[in-house]
Amino acid sequence: MLSKKWSVLVAVLVIVSTLLAACGTPEPAVVEVEVTREVEVEGETRIETEIVIVTATPEPAVATRPNIMYLTFGPGDVPTLDPSLSTDTSSVQVVDELTIGLTKLNEVTLELEPGMAENWSASDDGLTYVFNLVQGVPWVRWNGSEVEEVLDDEGNVRYVTAQDFEYGLKRTCNPETASDYAYVLGFALAGCNELLEAEGFVDLDDEAKQAVIDGVAAKALDDYTLEVTFTTPAIYNLNIVGMWTGRAQPWWLIADRGDRWTEPGFNQSYGPYALKEWIHDSTLTLIKNPFWPGLDSAPVAQIDEIVFSMLDASPAFAEYEAGNLDSVGVPLADLDRVKADPVLSEELTIAPHGCTYYYGFNTSKAPVDNVHMRRALSHAIDRQDLVDNVTKGGQEPAQWFCRPGMAACPTMESHPDAGIKSDPDAAKAELQAYMDEMGYASIDEIPEIILMHNTSEGHQRIAEAISEMWKETLGIQVSVTNQEWKVYLKTIQEDSPHVWRLGWCLDYPDANNWTREVFAIGGHEESATQWRNEEFTAICEEAALEEDLATRQNMYAEAETILCYEDAAIAPIYWYTMVNVTKPYVNRTYSQHGHEAYEKWSLDLTMD
Amino acid sequence: MGRYVIRRVLWMLLVLFVISLITFVMEHSVPGGPFDQEKKLPAEIIANLEKKYHLDEPYWKQYMRFLYDVLVPQITQGESVSMLDEAMINIKLGGDYYLRWVNFGPSFTSRSRTVNDIIREQLPVSIQLGIISMAIAITIGLPMGIVAALKQNTIWDYLGMSVAIFGVSVPVVAMGPVLVWIFGVTLKWLPPTGWGAKPPYLLFFIPRNLFSWDFWKYAMMPAFAVGTGYSAIIARLSRASLLQVVHEDYIRTARAKGLAERVVTVRHALRNALIPVVTILGPMFAAVLTGLFVVEQVFGIPGLGKYFITSIGNRDYPVIMGTILLYAIFLVIANVVVDVTYAWLDPRIRYE
Repeated sequence: MLSKKWSVLVAVLVIVSTLLAACGTPEPAVVEVEVTREVEVEGETRIETEIVIVTATPEPAVATRPNIMYLTFGPGDVPTLDPSLSTDTSSVQVVDELTIGLTKLNEVTLELEPGMAENWSASDDGLTYVFNLVQGVPWVRWNGSEVEEVLDDEGNVRYVTAQDFEYGLKRTCNPETASDYAYVLGFALAGCNELLEAEGFVDLDDEAKQAVIDGVAAKALDDYTLEVTFTTPAIYNLNIVGMWTGRAQPWWLIADRGDRWTEPGFNQSYGPYALKEWIHDSTLTLIKNPFWPGLDSAPVAQIDEIVFSMLDASPAFAEYEAGNLDSVGVPLADLDRVKADPVLSEELTIAPHGCTYYYGFNTSKAPVDNVHMRRALSHAIDRQDLVDNVTKGGQEPAQWFCRPGMAACPTMESHPDAGIKSDPDAAKAELQAYMDEMGYASIDEIPEIILMHNTSEGHQRIAEAISEMWKETLGIQVSVTNQEWKVYLKTIQEDSPHVWRLGWCLDYPDANNWTREVFAIGGHEESATQWRNEEFTAICEEAALEEDLATRQNMYAEAETILCYEDAAIAPIYWYTMVNVTKPYVNRTYSQHGHEAYEKWSLDLTMD
Repeated sequence: MGRYVIRRVLWMLLVLFVISLITFVMEHSVPGGPFDQEKKLPAEIIANLEKKYHLDEPYWKQYMRFLYDVLVPQITQGESVSMLDEAMINIKLGGDYYLRWVNFGPSFTSRSRTVNDIIREQLPVSIQLGIISMAIAITIGLPMGIVAALKQNTIWDYLGMSVAIFGVSVPVVAMGPVLVWIFGVTLKWLPPTGWGAKPPYLLFFIPRNLFSWDFWKYAMMPAFAVGTGYSAIIARLSRASLLQVVHEDYIRTARAKGLAERVVTVRHALRNALIPVVTILGPMFAAVLTGLFVVEQVFGIPGLGKYFITSIGNRDYPVIMGTILLYAIFLVIANVVVDVTYAWLDPRIRYE
């Protein structure tokens, strides 16, 4: 009996392996092999030798492609590779491969992991952290033929030190650097905001400048120990210090080259990849850094080179179909075709993405100065219908502003009733309440509402669909207008229309970056909403210091309900998704925060 | 002739000055600034950015600063430029010293590059594409127009002119993706996007792999897409012009004195008929260069046309000024060249 079982098992294995081989390569070179098998007959010790012929896959398959991955950024050149100056997705993406922060955000779980700091300790008041750095990570550069270690004037290898991190943090806060993103460090890192706002800084002499710069509370205690002091004992400090604005920077190089230090040929870095080539506006090539020791959070790269081309969505998709790109976003126009295509639909993934699309109200302009009117408008947006039939990318209808998945953001499971829901009956009831309050007898007496968006086909489709919903459900008059992007930004800051659109994407995955930074008093969109709520701001400020995650989440849920329902200062619309196609030979992770960790990706080189 | 050229150059400088002034006034009067973005920046950050780029100064001072940087040659120390800088306007004087001239300043969008870098790296690609497109336009358009005129009202005429109308009516934005779909995605004969030449270039714009398939396989589709549109214009113009000329008295005279029909056509009719065609070639080349935005977008070509358009959306003032002035120079020079050629083709025209 035993022998039969074994025979069956062998047979099954042979079949399975053949099938697997057939899946991997379209035309497997199946060969017939003679195998000598020893059969043990039940109960006896007699050993019988027989020869069977089985089919099997040949020797290990040979690589059919070079270990190079081809990807794309959006159209236009990557603006910068300077950690202090990066603001956009593609710049930050490259900076994230060239350098690793003190802490690192796991792109899948959004959990905080040790980065260049192996470990850290906090003072009792939670304000001062001492980071112990990973030792022996050299600075590297591409010398035209290979990646080499950077040497100092005496010929010794330059390793990444606490001084480099201190310099990087201080450079970001320096007004002469003029970093866009410095404000995030500004409110977290002690002394940074004072430096950013220093009056007449440029006119000081070098010594006086250095004195002001040294007010920033980042200090190298020795080569591998960095002390950083924060303004508040907030839970997200460790996230902020790991952002791209807080990376180690090569001070010797920047002193020499100024803002051009990031250019190809000059660039020095230490992360999993190094800059090999950057043909402006065309391609940017990263090459594996052989000197990167590998961390749990950022392992040694498996793919030798990554080539990014800078293409518009449609040409990029054509390149993907021609087999020249390995992963691209799907243009909306092609989405239906991709879903119907037997091959492409298999390669399609729709993953959550850390951005929110929303409409804001100017709460000081009639008729949306009335909360019932605002609630009516927000209730009347059929978000599910919108994502199913207009945006189509599998976006999630949003009930509140903060994207679920961010630390302490409420989720649909934990707080299904937070924020506001799409509900036509509630919308009509709120409209009635508004009319009663205003003493209007007919809907025609309600002033016309202006809905404005920046000029773009996508925004226009959404605006038309929503204004149609408002007209149908509420019967009110809506006029949709648009303005060129920069004009639009000026308009909504200076004299925003009744309803305007904006999006928000995370800087660091904490509810503080969303709910508080954008809408609390002094937040980014205060002038656009004309909305100030002390209670809301107080909840957000308390939540920043709360340590228990569940309690924090409840606090933000409460704040979001004030923002989106009680005061209805904004109407959240949907939470973004990433709609991507990826070739089957790419083993990848899907980032939740918009920046991928390519060092964790690999290519199956034997697949076509 | 010499005095004529000098006069034209002086006029050119005046025109450029006026253009720069108009551009400056317009770019600063459009609402929205270079640092307005979706995530509104705090006031102190904007202040630091404006200080860095001197946008906090009064307008007249900003304009004077621009004029000074462009007109006055300066010797600077250190501050070496990118890998590709040993050219044109940043001349290495030896040691750590550089002569910098015609300096359009930094780009607000590409923070590690200057406008000069952008022009130096992106303009050669536009010129390459522009020249090939023009060559295609002339090779297709001119014979088509001539044949159509000589065989007026025959099937050749109708066929040629239908093709011409088709070429004019189908814009690059439609033809580009169709070409990409056919030759790039379906047949896989040509790469769908990209450009085959890399800096550095010979004589600032000639690709080092000019005689290689690696260059042409990228250039063919976009140049064809641009070229056909302009070939239609050339065909229609040369047809109309030739038709007019063959009815002139001097053609009748030439025939009457017994010249062979071939000689009449080539030496007398064509030469005169080409004058209006040559006249538009210069401005057409300038139009091709400035109009490359769409084709660069569709085929992912790293040319300057993109910057010409996107810099306006970005309010990237130095790039706006740099590209507009550059294209203005092209246009003005093209016109001068045309005037000179014109006189050469038609001896009755004199420099006055």
